Amino acid sequence: MSDSAMTAGSMHGAAMEPSPFLITSRKLTMWLFIVADAATFGAILFGYGYLRFGSPNWTKPFTFSPNIINGLVMTVVLLTSSLTMLCGVAAAREGRSGATMKWLGATILLGVTFAVLHLREWTGMFHEGWSLSKNPMGGSVQVGALFFSITGLHLLHVISGVIAITVIAIGFRARKFTAGHVETTGLYWHFVDLVWMFVFPLLYLLNVR
Amino acid sequence: MTMDSVSASITELPPATPHDHAPPESFLRKYVFSLDHKVIGKQYLGLGLIAVCTGMFLSWVMRYHLAFPDKAVPLIGWIAPTFAAGGVITPEFYLQLMTMHGTIMVFFVLTTAPFAGFGNFVLPIQVGAEDMAFPRFNMMSFWVTFVAFAVLVAAFFVPDGPPLSGWTAYAPLSAVGKSSGPGEGLGQTLWVIAIGIFCIGQLLGSLNFIATTLDLRAKGMTLARLPYSTWAWFITSMIGLIAFSVLLPACVLLLLDRVAGTSFFIPAGLVVSDAIQPHSGGSPLLWQHLFWFFGHPEVYIAIVPGFGIISTILPAVCRKPHLGPKVLIASQLAIAGLSYMVWGHHMFLSGMSPSSATLFSVPTLIITIPSAIITLLWLGTIYGSKLRLNTAALFCLGFVSVFVTGGLSGFFLSQPSIDTYLHGTYFVVGHFHFVMGVAAMFGIFAGTYFWFPKMFGRMMNETLGKWHFALTFIGVYATFMPMHWLGLEGNVRRYSSFPSDYMHGSLPLHRFITYSALFLGASQLIFLVNLIWSRFRGPVAPDNPWEATSLEWSTTSPPPFDNFGGVHPVVYHGPNEYGVSGPRGDYIMQTDPPVAAAPAATA
Amino acid sequence: MTTTETATEPTLRVYVYVWLGMLAIVAIEAVLVYAHVSSGMLLASLLVLAFLEAAVALRYFMHLRYEVPLLFWTLIPGLLLAFVMMNQFWADAARLNTLRFPIP
Repeated sequence: MSDSAMTAGSMHGAAMEPSPFLITSRKLTMWLFIVADAATFGAILFGYGYLRFGSPNWTKPFTFSPNIINGLVMTVVLLTSSLTMLCGVAAAREGRSGATMKWLGATILLGVTFAVLHLREWTGMFHEGWSLSKNPMGGSVQVGALFFSITGLHLLHVISGVIAITVIAIGFRARKFTAGHVETTGLYWHFVDLVWMFVFPLLYLLNVR
Repeated sequence: MTMDSVSASITELPPATPHDHAPPESFLRKYVFSLDHKVIGKQYLGLGLIAVCTGMFLSWVMRYHLAFPDKAVPLIGWIAPTFAAGGVITPEFYLQLMTMHGTIMVFFVLTTAPFAGFGNFVLPIQVGAEDMAFPRFNMMSFWVTFVAFAVLVAAFFVPDGPPLSGWTAYAPLSAVGKSSGPGEGLGQTLWVIAIGIFCIGQLLGSLNFIATTLDLRAKGMTLARLPYSTWAWFITSMIGLIAFSVLLPACVLLLLDRVAGTSFFIPAGLVVSDAIQPHSGGSPLLWQHLFWFFGHPEVYIAIVPGFGIISTILPAVCRKPHLGPKVLIASQLAIAGLSYMVWGHHMFLSGMSPSSATLFSVPTLIITIPSAIITLLWLGTIYGSKLRLNTAALFCLGFVSVFVTGGLSGFFLSQPSIDTYLHGTYFVVGHFHFVMGVAAMFGIFAGTYFWFPKMFGRMMNETLGKWHFALTFIGVYATFMPMHWLGLEGNVRRYSSFPSDYMHGSLPLHRFITYSALFLGASQLIFLVNLIWSRFRGPVAPDNPWEATSLEWSTTSPPPFDNFGGVHPVVYHGPNEYGVSGPRGDYIMQTDPPVAAAPAATA
Repeated sequence: MTTTETATEPTLRVYVYVWLGMLAIVAIEAVLVYAHVSSGMLLASLLVLAFLEAAVALRYFMHLRYEVPLLFWTLIPGLLLAFVMMNQFWADAARLNTLRFPIP
């Protein structure tokens, strides 16, 4: 029994101690990356709280229509993409290549939808006069700065995730990547979803006029 | 979860590539873009060596100017004609030197050498692996760090020169841009980018270290049998994983403040160089919080590998088992946890809320307990031993000495009321140079003398090594000890000179420190000569010159490409089997077959 | 290619229930915003719900429930410690308001 491809350059499984977590190194590393990334998002969200708490002239930019409706649609889209990703992982495990491609394709589509909805919202806000350094409502300039940098960081993760899933899907069809790769990418994708579960209430719902 | 399902889950992959990377042939793949952890470790150490020489040169210029404020510094007018015309150090240039000295030393010496350098070379061999878990990440980690260093050093060559905001880059000085001083334009932007890149490089390294330690252990190498240096690098990686990922967004926000017009760290109505800044609503303290949230764990990223190196060498030179190995590991874990609770003690003078000052002071006092326990374990290990007083052992003893010296002044600084007086003075400079700078350097030296035979297959010269130790030890105390007196006298730090004010009387002491610093720096030439001479002319090293137990000593010096020459080492003992009677003498190596009486060790 | 952990692998039905539950939490969050609760109460309840969602996502979507417990203990408490400690920021955020000159 060999797990030499478990990690690049590793030795044969029989000659090694088992991992204390009983998972592949790839998956462990993705978990560790997620912890590190969570610290990044946590730090920046604490920074948001700090500056907002310390800003007496904070303005709440959002109205139910279009912002919150848009945000809710984005949330549903991202949550659903987690579900399709889970289906993709399950299909990949069972070796159903066609179904895997279908589910991963759906995930990519939902991810792209999320990004498009997000960018459309951004463009709308730019037209209203919002930017990293401007607040058209006359209050604290931190509103736009924090909104765009935090959602921008999240959007960067969504776009990277879409690219990663695409690469993994193509590689999976070419039998270059395995179900393990799909699962690890799924882990990342669920984390992007998880972060949004904090970004949406803190940045959207707490900023409703 | 049954073992069957587990082994099924970790063997889901077909053995597509049994050897992911064969020994490379070309020069480029062998020495430059190498995937071999041993080469990458040496690259990190080489980078650290270049960086430490740069950083030390900068400190000499600063020290010379402090001692002789009205004299031109020799050579500097020729090296940096734009910044120091005729060798005259302006206060601004002094601050630029100080900033680059601190940044280079903390990030590119104290982080890269003990953690990334020795860790890369030794850790995979100590756990019995062929390489790191992800060799490509490993190569990327080094080259990303190298790019970070290049970007930082590039600040010397831009028109305004390097930034002057200190290695902590306090906002708003670092955030408002060009108008706040020379180097605060492009130089500071390069600084922020360099540190951001550095975070990515070290995060990649941390991920790799953790995965390697946990997943690539040889058969029988249970967690309890890991050598203490491996434990230390593992714990350091866990600290770095969260610390660097907090500094990264802080750097991004600072960069946005500088280039995108945001005001995260800039308050309203700030007047800089007679011009009101177009920023509002930010808080400089937020930068300090985010920076020191990284910054204090960073102190432990620099020193915990030193703990590991000392705890690995001490039993080998004392020929007796390390006292309380479990307590040692537990103390390091406690330090790792506590390192996230104490960052505010760097900010007692920042206008931070006085109530949180108390909340930071108490854990700071508590963190001295595991540190003291570790020190006592070392002393207990040394006590009553038949010490083999080689150079590595001397540097271990030196490490304990400077760590205790620096740690003792930490007791004073951890209390806000005393720190308020001392924080802005040379007392703090003396404190952190002892406890973080010199202690970590002694760890690096000890590690170099100890592992050099394994790295290059040749022994270092012991006579030169002992001279190096003696002169360094004297130089260190002569340089940094008087700084405590200066601080108690109220001599402020970060000032470029004290020519005609109340501190004029301290000038003789400053001169003494400068002479000591030059002496200390010059004595490092012995080390450099020893390094180069031994690399080519040193006596050929045996496989296990120190009669040590851990796995790196059971392979050849230097180890072959796959570390164990195609053999998979099997481990039967812990790393602590000294002072016993075995077939080899007074020690049993980890790979030695179990003695008849001992129970068969299969995990 | 072997299938993995079929015994402990949750079925698709579980995932759909979790997905529906998370949608419900998001709906509750949205309703809360318009339910005229005080801002402090709103913040507290949104945070509780967000952590609830995160826990559910970790346990089911990210499979942490079905891994060995040691993985949880290695990853999560340290991260939570970091976040708990970051609450020390608030004292200074509050002082910003009392130390600042009034905005004209």
